[in-house]
Amino acid sequence: MLQAHSFLWHYLWVGPNLLLLFLAFLLYRRKLHTIYPFFFAFALIGSLEQLTLYAADVIPSVTPATWWHIYWAGLMVEAVLKFGVVAEIFAHVFNSYSAIAKLGRTLISGVGVVLVFTAAILAAFAPKNGHFGIVFGAHLLDQTVYLVESGLLLFIFLFSAYFHLSAGRRVFGIAFGLAISACVHLATWAVMANGGLQTQRDLLDLLNMATYHLSVLIWYEFLLVPGRDRVFESGLASDSLGARLEGHLADWNDELERLLKQ
Amino acid sequence: MTLAIVLVVIAVLALAVVLRIAVSHSLQITRRGHFSAQIEPIDIEAFRNLVSPAESEYLRRRLPAAEFRRVQRHRLQATARYVQAAARNASTLTRVGQSALASSDPQTVEAARQLVDNALLLRRNATIALIRIYFGMAWPNAELTATPLIDSYGRLSGAAMLLGRLQNPAAPVRISA
Repeated sequence: MLQAHSFLWHYLWVGPNLLLLFLAFLLYRRKLHTIYPFFFAFALIGSLEQLTLYAADVIPSVTPATWWHIYWAGLMVEAVLKFGVVAEIFAHVFNSYSAIAKLGRTLISGVGVVLVFTAAILAAFAPKNGHFGIVFGAHLLDQTVYLVESGLLLFIFLFSAYFHLSAGRRVFGIAFGLAISACVHLATWAVMANGGLQTQRDLLDLLNMATYHLSVLIWYEFLLVPGRDRVFESGLASDSLGARLEGHLADWNDELERLLKQ
Repeated sequence: MTLAIVLVVIAVLALAVVLRIAVSHSLQITRRGHFSAQIEPIDIEAFRNLVSPAESEYLRRRLPAAEFRRVQRHRLQATARYVQAAARNASTLTRVGQSALASSDPQTVEAARQLVDNALLLRRNATIALIRIYFGMAWPNAELTATPLIDSYGRLSGAAMLLGRLQNPAAPVRISA
């Protein structure tokens, strides 16, 4: 099934996945796989899946139909793992804060339902291609998965930004890399699934693969390179905050208590 | 192809939002915190008048209906600004608490967690209160209750005081009276 492609094309398919596989190994070595089990599984299985697809692409005996069947299987496994990673990010960001954990779970469930419903409608209205059903179906499934994934990640980013929450550098890095990849892939798969840029599919492939490469590098940076996680000057009493709070919060609190007794 | 264009636009907007949040996140990490400068003073007397049911009732009796609605809308707009200030203070205290979560002292960590929880609760309640205030602007005759916000602010103040004491036992800070 090998088609003539540039060295860059081959590198962008294999390189990021080898890097991701090595990242999984490093996560295991540093015992981070126990903290981020879904991301570890995604890094391990996702990279192996892509390398398998590449091997199937370059082995002449593999027919296009077989290749697309492998692609379908991999896509479904990858989708499950990605949603697992999204759930893992959500748990790390919100579960330790009881005040908003329930609200967050309720909202993300609602957002998820709306996204799935929207994705199903968009898939139903996509132009049908009867000649290459398996290819067309894969493009639609890609579009659906990335739409839901992007929406959920966007919700997590917005919700945590609204409440000024930080779950730490590593979780932020996982979410950031995944979000960049999901948004770009959503755009490219939407174009492919709706029959756009048919003569320039290689460009869309390159864009997808380059973005994925960027995401893998982001995961390396945030998961392995030590950084400053919490650098705010700690301490209510270390500056004049305590004194100012004394002046404002206490008065405010007294007044509110008085109002409660009215 | 229209669907594709819509989805591409959505994806680009989502990417822009994520990048903007990421940039502000990294700026927050880089910036050294001077929390005192971020706490906004709140005029308690003015707030008391604004949320006072007796004051509202007095105005309702003394003013013509149309005039009362106009005045009530102005009062609600002012109330909204105070609630927004309280919400911003809660956000600042969330960051204070989160920074203290890295402490090696278990008592400080527990106090910090309590502060963060209370601050988040206040921010959540402030959001709900704001929705009710905006609803009240549309229907000025409706009663406005600030009870959840009041309750949250009370707990927040206590948690902030406890954390302040734990972080600097030598110079305890009295935050609430």
